[in-house]
Amino acid sequence: MPREIALGDALVPGLLVFFVLALLLLWLLDGLAGRFGLYRLVWHPPLFRLAVFVCVFGALALFLY
Amino acid sequence: MSAANLSTSAPVTRQVVAETLREEASVWLFVVKTLIAFFLTGWIAMRLDLPAPSTAMLTTIIVANRQAGMVLAKSFYRALGTLAGATAAVGIVAAFPQQRDLFLLALSLWIGLCAGGATLYRNFKSYAFVLGGYTAAIVAIPVIENPPGVFDSATARISEVLLGLLVSGVVSDVVFPSRMRDVLRRTAREQFANFVAFVRDSTGGAIPRESMEKAHLRFVRTAVSLEDLRSSVIFEDAEARARSNHLRLFNQRFMAASTSFQSLHHLINRLKRARRDTAANLLIRLYAPLGDALDAPIEAGAAARVLLPRLAAARDTMRGNAGALRATLDDAQDLRDFDTGAALLLRFVDELHDYVDAAATLQTPRVIAGSAERVRFDRGNDFLGAGIATVRTTLTMLVLGAFWVESAWPMGSSAMLLATIFAGLFATTPNPTRVTWMVMLGYFSGMVAGFVCEFFVLTQLDGYGLLVVGVAPFLAVGLVMMMTQRFASHGLGWAMGFAYILALKNVQTYDPAHFINDAIAQVIGLGAAAVSFVVIPPAIGSAWLRRRQLARLRGQVALAAEAPLPGLRHRFESVNHDLVSQVVAQTEPGSADSRALIAWALAVHETGRALIELRHDMARRELPPTLRPYLEEALRTLSRFYEKPDAPGYLLARDAVATAIASVGEHDGVAHLLEHLHLVRMALLDGESVLAAYMPDAPLSKEIVHAS
Repeated sequence: MPREIALGDALVPGLLVFFVLALLLLWLLDGLAGRFGLYRLVWHPPLFRLAVFVCVFGALALFLY
Repeated sequence: MSAANLSTSAPVTRQVVAETLREEASVWLFVVKTLIAFFLTGWIAMRLDLPAPSTAMLTTIIVANRQAGMVLAKSFYRALGTLAGATAAVGIVAAFPQQRDLFLLALSLWIGLCAGGATLYRNFKSYAFVLGGYTAAIVAIPVIENPPGVFDSATARISEVLLGLLVSGVVSDVVFPSRMRDVLRRTAREQFANFVAFVRDSTGGAIPRESMEKAHLRFVRTAVSLEDLRSSVIFEDAEARARSNHLRLFNQRFMAASTSFQSLHHLINRLKRARRDTAANLLIRLYAPLGDALDAPIEAGAAARVLLPRLAAARDTMRGNAGALRATLDDAQDLRDFDTGAALLLRFVDELHDYVDAAATLQTPRVIAGSAERVRFDRGNDFLGAGIATVRTTLTMLVLGAFWVESAWPMGSSAMLLATIFAGLFATTPNPTRVTWMVMLGYFSGMVAGFVCEFFVLTQLDGYGLLVVGVAPFLAVGLVMMMTQRFASHGLGWAMGFAYILALKNVQTYDPAHFINDAIAQVIGLGAAAVSFVVIPPAIGSAWLRRRQLARLRGQVALAAEAPLPGLRHRFESVNHDLVSQVVAQTEPGSADSRALIAWALAVHETGRALIELRHDMARRELPPTLRPYLEEALRTLSRFYEKPDAPGYLLARDAVATAIASVGEHDGVAHLLEHLHLVRMALLDGESVLAAYMPDAPLSKEIVHAS
């Protein structure tokens, strides 16, 4: 996959696109976790959330590199 | 800052010291967190080779707040605003790449429109609009010589801002977070406990009008502040987000119940004043089981659930008692007053039950499946105020732009940028002139500190670690000031001015001449924003706008009488509360304005709710065709009177309601409409209410008695 993604013929850094995508995904996962009270099982919810984000973003970034 | 730390050991002062230390600790925690976010952002931005690391670093200062939820909420809206602004900038540059006049005009219009939109929203939503405006300027103005560069400029700006938001969001959320969820929970609990206690204590009978007004104000404030808190906390806490709808429902039911409660007490007060003691006392006796039901110890957690069965039992008792109490009356007047009061009382108990039910649902540890009924908190907005903000901002931009074009000032872009930022940022504060001056003072001293830091400290240092050590003490001063009541605006100005003028880059340039020129331009830009607030004063807080808001509040009766019914109750309550709280925030407590407002608010609340209930009852069953015109006439004259109160209108409304009551009496099977009409009628005839000014001067106490 190319490192820069063409949006309407303009080259955008691929990481930026994936970053926004990862944020959206995290928002979704976060909502699900809150809905079902999963954060009660976790010691430090924000840290956990950060870890999930790193996983999601890292996984997406693997498409580029 | 922490001089109190030095005095130790004395056991008497130990508690004082501990308290002070705790307060100081939270201030310093904020400073340390902000510094971490600031320098971490700078480091990442430099590693990624972004063109302006200082933008990303400035972002962390702008969103800095003690509460993690506030940071996340502000970040979310800042991201939205930045994206919108960058898109607009690309569009504007693409449209007028070679027409500087049209370009400046389009840019000024866009910024003005965004500033106007900002006044229509509260909290951070308004901030998103402001940002949409000035981001466009930040993206477009630097590339004015080189239009094809606009896209790179836009991507760079977006990357920098998002990076800054990401880092400060993560830092404030992960490093010793201070949670707003607890504040929200406490506010909701307090609202519940206060209201229940107030209802319980007032079952004894009449409440003086003054304490009624105070209670009304308190209810309005808590309802609005709960809504404000809710809108920020949902960013911090996924569970709060899942319960968001329940919380809204809880608030709506609170508003409904408190309105009915007030109507009931006004009714009892009026009866007492008119010497209809028999009916009043019977109503108070009918009311008594409610006080007993609410007289349960309120503990954390289980409180609401405990009250539910008791309330249901009290409702049944009251239904049973109503017949027996009614039988003791023989006078037709008393009977009618009693029926009106009893219907209102039962409505109130039903609403209280719903409210307690919503509170119980909120207090359960698990989120209940199947989300709550969708309700909205509608705001009462004024489009004219927004128009003024639009015109002012556009004019400021045009004047500065014209000056820039005419004088060919090399630093004109800096001045224009700063003016945009500050004209937008402070357009929504009640006293923008003063705030802008204070920020300007702070900004100026921040720039002086920046000069010292850049040319005397940074020139001696090498490497990022030393840069942190060199810059942190200067920045910390501003951050500490931000946390004090008096110097908050100065501190914000200091931190922003310092970070902005320092303009840290990968390859730092040390050019005192450029530095000073830039500083002068920025101060002029700030001054232009301040002057624009003086020349075209903001509508917020002016007597003119207050009059308009009052007129809108009165217009709420017309809304209640004429708007489509579905969802009207919630709409009426929330717009009312928002309007009242807006005006209350802008008037001095106890002044004539504020008293007039509360008097009108009480009248509008009572009459509006009664009209809505009346219309619900009218819609529920088929009405005889001979009756409908009279009812509609009553609704129409009432709304006209409230829209434009005057003595003839008052007489018309009063007579129309009387005619409607008489004609209801002539028909069978529509007696249920009578209660609402009586309520409206008695509110109209209340000699102590704000409507007294429009009454013909004959004493009316008799009329209250013979109200049909």
